[in-house]
Order: sequence, then C-alpha cells, then structure tokens
Amino acid sequence: MVSIDIETEDGQKEALRRMMLIRSFDDTAGTLFADGEIPGFVHLYIGEEGVGVGACAALEPDDYITSTHRGHGHCIAKGLEPQSMMAELYGKRDGYCNGKGGSMHIADVDAGMLGANGIVGAGPPLATGAALSAAQKDEDRVALAFFGDGAVAQGQVHEAINLAATWDLPAIFLVENNQFGEGTPVEKQHNLENLSETAEAYDIPGFTIDGMDITAVYEAVQEARERARNGDGPTFIEADTYRFRGHFEGDQQPYREDDDIQEWQSRCPIDSFASRLVDAGVMTDDEVESLRAEVDEEIAAAAEYAQNADEPDPTEAYDDMYAVSVPELTMFAGRSVRADGGSPTNTDQ
Amino acid sequence: MGDRSTPTVGVIVNPAAGRDIRRLTGGASVSDNYAKRRTATCVLQGLTLAPDRIRALVMPDRADLGQRLVGGADDIDADVSLLDMQITGTPKDTRNAAEQFSDVADCVVVLGGDGTNRDVSTTIGDVPMVSISTGTNNVVPTPIDGTVAGAAAGLVATDVVDIEAVTQRHGTIEATIDGKAGSGTVSGLATMGLLDRPFIGTRAVLDVSEFVGGAVSRAFPTEIGLSGIAGGIQTCAPDDAGGLGLRFGDGPDADAHTVRAITVPGVVNTVSVSECVRIESGEPWTVSIDRGVVTADGEREREVSDAEVTFTVSDAGPQIVTIPAVFQQAVDRGVLSMQPIEQKR
Amino acid sequence: MSTETGTTHGKSTETMTVREAIREAMREEMQRDEDVFLMGEDVGLFGGVFDVSNGLLEDFGEERVKDTPISEAGFLGAGVGAAATGSRPIVEIMFSDFMGVAMEQTMNQMAKMRYMFGGKTEMPITVRTTEGGGMGAASQHSGTVHTWFAHFPGIIAVAPGTPAAAKGLLKSAIRSDDPVFFFENKMIYEQSGEVPTDPDFTLPIGEANVEREGDDVTVIATQRLVGESLQAAEELDSELSVEVIDLRSLYPLDTETIVDSLEKTGRVIIADESPISYGTHAEVMARLMENGFYSLDAPPERIGVPDTHIPFSPSLEQEVLPSAADVTAAIRRLT
Ligand SMILES: Cc1ncc(C[n+]2csc(CCOP(=O)(O)OP(=O)(O)O)c2C)c(N)n1
Ligand SMILES: [Mg+2]
Repeated sequence: MVSIDIETEDGQKEALRRMMLIRSFDDTAGTLFADGEIPGFVHLYIGEEGVGVGACAALEPDDYITSTHRGHGHCIAKGLEPQSMMAELYGKRDGYCNGKGGSMHIADVDAGMLGANGIVGAGPPLATGAALSAAQKDEDRVALAFFGDGAVAQGQVHEAINLAATWDLPAIFLVENNQFGEGTPVEKQHNLENLSETAEAYDIPGFTIDGMDITAVYEAVQEARERARNGDGPTFIEADTYRFRGHFEGDQQPYREDDDIQEWQSRCPIDSFASRLVDAGVMTDDEVESLRAEVDEEIAAAAEYAQNADEPDPTEAYDDMYAVSVPELTMFAGRSVRADGGSPTNTDQ
Repeated sequence: MGDRSTPTVGVIVNPAAGRDIRRLTGGASVSDNYAKRRTATCVLQGLTLAPDRIRALVMPDRADLGQRLVGGADDIDADVSLLDMQITGTPKDTRNAAEQFSDVADCVVVLGGDGTNRDVSTTIGDVPMVSISTGTNNVVPTPIDGTVAGAAAGLVATDVVDIEAVTQRHGTIEATIDGKAGSGTVSGLATMGLLDRPFIGTRAVLDVSEFVGGAVSRAFPTEIGLSGIAGGIQTCAPDDAGGLGLRFGDGPDADAHTVRAITVPGVVNTVSVSECVRIESGEPWTVSIDRGVVTADGEREREVSDAEVTFTVSDAGPQIVTIPAVFQQAVDRGVLSMQPIEQKR
Repeated sequence: MSTETGTTHGKSTETMTVREAIREAMREEMQRDEDVFLMGEDVGLFGGVFDVSNGLLEDFGEERVKDTPISEAGFLGAGVGAAATGSRPIVEIMFSDFMGVAMEQTMNQMAKMRYMFGGKTEMPITVRTTEGGGMGAASQHSGTVHTWFAHFPGIIAVAPGTPAAAKGLLKSAIRSDDPVFFFENKMIYEQSGEVPTDPDFTLPIGEANVEREGDDVTVIATQRLVGESLQAAEELDSELSVEVIDLRSLYPLDTETIVDSLEKTGRVIIADESPISYGTHAEVMARLMENGFYSLDAPPERIGVPDTHIPFSPSLEQEVLPSAADVTAAIRRLT
C-alpha cells in the first residue's frame, strides 16, 4: 500500500495538503530565521515540494528515506510532525533531536526518516545500507535516497549505487536536480545533460521526470518501488525542479537571473496541482483556499509551540555521546565555568 | 525553400529524447547523449556522399549537443554551422528550429522520438524529413545508421532524386476537446488516444488497458502501441487517405476484437477492442470520458474532465523520406558510381 | 579593508581582518608566482561561502580561481596530483568536517608520496579549511579536527590566531614545498589587527609567538582562543601577570618558546578548541613534561571541547565551547 494513494480524490487532497504544509513550514522558518529567532542556517525546500511529497506518497509507511541539508520537505512528506520539527529548528528540548541536531539533522528513525544530512552525498550509502538490512531480514521495505544534483559529483554516491546495483538491493536513488549546487549551475558541475545517464554505468534503469509535477514523481517512484520489491534492484530517477529561494536564507544569489526564477515559479508544483484538482472538479477554489488557511494555522501553532518550548538544560550537552557512560565526559564536563570550577585533575591544589 | 544556391540540410538533435519512464516499465532502450552525438556526427559525414558540397545547419540546444557537433566538424567536407536562434531548453527549440528550416533547408534530419517528430512536423512545412529514432518505442522514426540517414538527406537536398517519388506524405491527427476542463486542441502525428487515467504524470503511456478510445493515422503490427493494436485488426499505410478510429471496453460491441499486440517494448498483450473502423480524412470520431487524459504519439498530453473528444485525421502532414527509395533512385540514375555501369564492365 | 596604516618595527602595516589578511596573502602569492592557483567549491563566482576569496576571480580569471563540483576527494586529489607535477595549488575545503570525504588522498598520497618515492617528489599544496563552533551550525559544520593532521606524519599544520599570523603563515604555506594544512577558525574572520603590507612579509612555520608577556601564568592558545585568552589576561591585569602565546604552528611545534615560558611562569594552561582527549593539548603537555618538568609549579590545565560533538542548540553549544571565562577560571584554579 502506498502512503497516499494519488489515484483517489482523497489522496489527491492529502497530497496537496502535504505540499502546502511544507510550503507554509518553510515560509515560516525563513521568516523566523530572518527575525533572528532560529539559530544556525536553514535551507528551504520551497519550489521542490512536488518531489518530496510525490515520492513519499508512493512509498509505504515502513519504507526508509535518507535526506539532505534541505530536508524539511522530506520530513513532512514522510509524515513527521511540524511541531516537533519546529522545536528542533529552535534547538528546543522537545525537538526531534532534543535540540542537538537543528534544521540540518532532523531525524525520526522510527518513521523511516534516517536523517537530514549536513554532508552532501552522505545519504545514498545510508540508503544502500538500509536496503541491505531490509533484504537480509527479508522485510518488504525499500530505501529511497533523496540527494541533490551537486551530490552526484560525490564519489560515495557512486559507490553506493554500484553496491546496490550489484547486490540488487531494494533501493531508489532520487536526484532532486534543482539546477544548482549552492552557487554553481549544474552544467558547471557535470558533463552529463541528463544526470539520469549516470544509471547506465551501473546497468540500472535511469530516467528523467518533471519534478514540478507531483503525479510524475509519484508514478515514477511507484514503478521503481515495484521493481525494488520484486528483487530487480535499484532505479535512478532524476526529478527536474527548482528552488525558489536562495541556497540558504540570506544568499544574495549573484549566480542567477530573476527571469529564470519567475519562469520556474510559474510552474509552482502546488499551484499547478491545485488548479488541476479544481479543473477536474475534485476541489473548488474556495476549498483550496481554506485548506491553505488551515495549513497556515497549523504551522503558526507549531511555531508558537516551539517558541514557548523549554530550552535543553546545559548538562544535556553531555548526554547521548555513547551508549555506555564514559568517565571522560563527567571529568571534562566539570571544566566549564558553568560548573563550580572544580577540576578533577587538580582537586588537591 | 529560400536559399537554393547551396543545398542545405537542417539537423535537429533533441537532447531530451529517449529518457522517459518506459525504460523502466517496459524494455525500451535508453538513449544517452553521447550516443546521440556520435550518431549526429555520422549524419554529417553521410552528407558528403552527395555529389555537391552541402551546407549543414545544426540546431543549438541547452545540452550543447549541437554546439559540440559543430565544434567537432572541422574535418568534415561540408559547411557546418550553428543555426542562429535562442535556446529555451524546451520543445519550443525544436519547433523554432523547424520553422527556420522551413525557409532555408532542402531537407532536415531529425534525431528523436515520435514527440520530436511531431514538434518538427508542426512547423516544417513541405521540407522532406529524414527521421532517425533515438531509442526504441517509436512509430514514425526508425532506427537507422546515422551515416546512411545523412547520405539520404544529402541526396534529397542536392535534388538528384525525384522528391515526390522518394517521400511519403504522412497523415496527422487533431483532437478537439469539449469539456469542463482541458478544452482546446491537441495534435498528433501517428496516434492519439484517450485514457481513463486522471493525470499526465510521467507522460508515457504505461498501461494500454486504460485506453478508452482514439484514432491513428497509420496502423501496422510492428508499430508499438496504439497503431500496433489497430494494425492487428486492419493495416493502414502512413500515406493512405484517412485513418482508423478506435474504441475500447464497454459499448454495444464490447470486445468485438481481441487483439494480440506489442503494447510497450518488451510487453506482448491481449487487448479488447470494441470498435476499429476506417475514418475518412476530416471525418469526426468522438469519444467521451468523465476524467482522463488525451495522449498523442504515446505521450499523455492534456488532462480533461467531463469531456467529448473529437479526433480528425488529416492527410496533409510532413513529407517523410523513404530511405531505401532514395538509394534505389540514386543507383538507377547513376548518381553514386563514377562511370556508367556498362563501361565499367 | 580599512585605509588606516601604521608601522610596526619600522615596517608599514594596515588594519585588516583575518578574512582580508587571508585574501591578501592569496592575492600576493598568486601575483608573485603564476604556478599558484586556488580551487574549491564556490570559491569563484560566489566568492567563497565565507567571502574569503571574493574578488580573486575578477583578478585572476577562471583558470586560476576554479570552482569545482562537490567532489572533495576528487579535487583535493587533483590538487595532490597537480602539486606533484609542478603546480602550487591552494585547495579550499569549505568546512574541515568535509575532510572525511577526502581523507584517502590526504593520508596515503599527499602525506606519503615524498617519503615513499625516496624524496623524488615535491608536494607544494596548501589546504585551507574552516573549523570551530559558535554559529549554530551543528555537529557536521563545527568541528575542530586539526589534531588529526598535526598527528599524521608528512603533513604540516598551522592554525593562526591573529590577522598578521594568518597572512604571514599562509604566504609561507603557499611557498612551502611540503603539504600544509591551514586551519581557519570561522568565528575570527571579522577580528582585525595590524598586518604588514610588505609583499615579502612571511612568518616562519614552526614558531610560536608571545602575544602578551607575563610572569605568573602562561596560556598557550590557538585560533579563537588566542583572543579569548588575551581578553582574560586583560581582565585579570590588576591582579596577575598573564603571558599569552599564539601557538600558530601545530606541526612542527615550537618546543623552545613554550618551554621558555613555562620556565618563567611555572604554570601553564593550554587552550585549544579540539576535543580534549588525545588533542593538541596532549602533545603540548607532553613536550612541556619532557623538557620542563622540573619548572612546573602546578599541574597544567587543558581547555577544550569536553569530548562531545558540537550541539546545535545555542544553550548547549555555549556549554561545550570554551571561552575567555573558562580561561579565567583555569587561571584562578592554577594561581
Ligand atoms: C561534503 C560536503 N561538501 C560541501 C558541502 C557544502 N554544501 C552544502 S549544500 C551544497 C550544495 C549542494 O548542492 P545539491 O546537492 O545540488 O543540493 P541543493 O542545495 O541544490 O538542494 C554544498 C556545496 C557539504 N555540506 N558537504
Ligand atoms: Mg542542487
């Protein structure tokens, strides 16, 4: 069973809602970051919602995904709660990583979300590993790696694909080609026009789809999942898409033209899917607008919750390093001025 | 055709062709850009078979295929240059290039699939087309060595063969949609259909059991997809007048025909067809649907709801070069041998 | 860069930030030697994610300021190959955490080639990379990893704490025929100070610098903690005389300067942002023990990250990142 059946009208509405949820979450995150509320940096998924939601809809709830530095959309698409995500963005104790990870490391392993990732190209090997364990345990699960066009230049991505292909693992490699890796256009990073041609080197199917169309992504991932589940091995999918915002918030974007941004914005995955649903009589314009308002309210509530949530206690900095307790952490923790100033190495001074 | 002083061949290579999802669901082969560039280089070499020096104009594209082709053509005995046009990175490029070629070219060579050929045919006018298939799963273009295709184009462009005798006038189809959504027209070259699938998705037609109806301008069992299904019942040559109208599933004559056909590369199916009839050029063939998609040449093109879709076949399509006929005439006319055959003996 | 100029030791100086000092060092060396070139992710068009190389593309063109794909193993390896064949590459690795991706070419090629080949190759490569927490960048963009490189035979490692040290050391690094890792703490890019403008100005690798003289206690610091230690020393000025040393060079390590200071003050604190265990501190301490044990009046102290990764949440990050207050507390414990 797919997570969201886009063949049905209810599924179509839910898919639209998820995309709106991502848009609203990231709009809000961008504003809160600009206001200095959210520390660190945030990479927004705005414009790419169709890829995340289309792909996760076609997966089963138990399937795994790996993500990137631009991971908020993947999280929401996989069903993570905006409230706990927002709390993580604020570095609060109730966040998905208890405040230790932040925007770039949100994870929920139980939900099959193996983590946003700060290292470009680090996801695919993890997906290969998740697919390996699924295959070894004979579980009906697949692993899908989201990664960027920039990541296709990373050696470890190719190593991961080769392993998965050679071992016929139930993996799906999904490139989100948003036309840039940071400030460098894709044609300055790759000699291939279609990144999906990468697949030929590993003798697996590779094809390019319109990532601005959620239904195209959904169908492609569904087919790839079917193939993976049948033991036929991995598939490489390139989804053409675009990020409407800067690489990170605050990016001055000297590397692209407003015209290009507008041209892609006219293909907004949310607006175009919404108008198709309206045309087909699945929803009315009013229903679309009230859905949007509902979603905005949910996100505003998530942000408010996160603002008011508790900060972690400073001592929590020493938790979670090891499964066992190691004496060093206790010993060195005492060095901080926060503590009483006692240092175990010179207590007899 | 404008500048007749130098025989001119237009070259269109679609960098996006041959990479869709059919490669996953069926057995269609994938076409990479390196292979396309190699084939196109062969086309340029093939042009030199013609008795006169040829001017070749190449469409530029976002993937730099055309640009690299021209850059690497120094040692080819032809005047190879890039067509002056703006690149959009969309199918518009193909149509714009074909429009320019309709003025200046004596023949065009097209590397792509059915979709590319359809784009070319909308603006190419009467300029003869040599079509090379990139990948499999195409009805109009055939897989052929680039050098042979280029040689045929060169012979056509230099006017040493009788163009009427070596080309076929392909038909076209137009679908007029009258519905709650999706109204307007969509055109196709070989096949058009109506699917009861609600969205365009990955574009490719994945499952022929979803067809409700359609029309084809040609039909033969070797043509994969809709025209192959129709062709299993009755054949229709690309230059025959009119075409065939189709209806599937329910209706008074449900399952009138049960056809064994190749529906997708690598897939042989049994298909139930309720109606498959000859339609005259211009005769309307109407199919209605609640919610579905209009397809053209194997691609899902337009979502429609509550619609009546009327297909009409027209005979005034592009001039497609029949490659064996070109060479037969060239031999008959002694174009390829240096001396009359009798004297050689 | 401000136009304000002055003179130090009779030579002309300019006030500039660490960022400007690094940029000037690259500019001067690229002007001086056409074999020098810079490559890395977004160093050209974008000007570097920390704006360090901004303007160099305009001055030197794409051939010498090369934007690379996101392929650390590939382009750092290419740097090694170029260095072995007569070029003088400066390779920028955006965050030192990403060195994990490029470790093989570093350990087994860059570091070993001269030795394995019996001294028949030069390896004039400079790797510039950023370190340090403090901007909420979380664990994968905040690490301080220089100990790994200082530990590995065949590699030279430097980590400046002031603008002048940044410029002088980077110029020496680029001129060096050995592979040099140049570690930039990303929190001090905006820190400014007097920097010599003479294009022949360099600082020798392998020498520490006494930034502030004192008699009661020595703080041997690196990078951001040099400034933090100077601040602590300033604050304690009325009570104590604190000597602050910028270690500058992690390998080779200037044993003489640190032992001289120990002999003078008898009390030493080592402040470095590496995790404490097996860190740079440990090597400094070992040198002091071996060479100045009998001058010690108190056990030395280490200030560093308490063996954790750098957490995201600001309240947690502050908890683990050492600062002037930690130096002050340590000084108080020792005196
Ligand atoms: C190993 C590594 N190298 C470099 C970076 C810095 N970096 C972060 S995002 C990014 C661009 C990634 O581009 P792409 O994979 O296309 O993803 P996008 O940002 O476009 O979503 C870079 C270079 C990193 N995080 N990890
Ligand atoms: Mg990208």
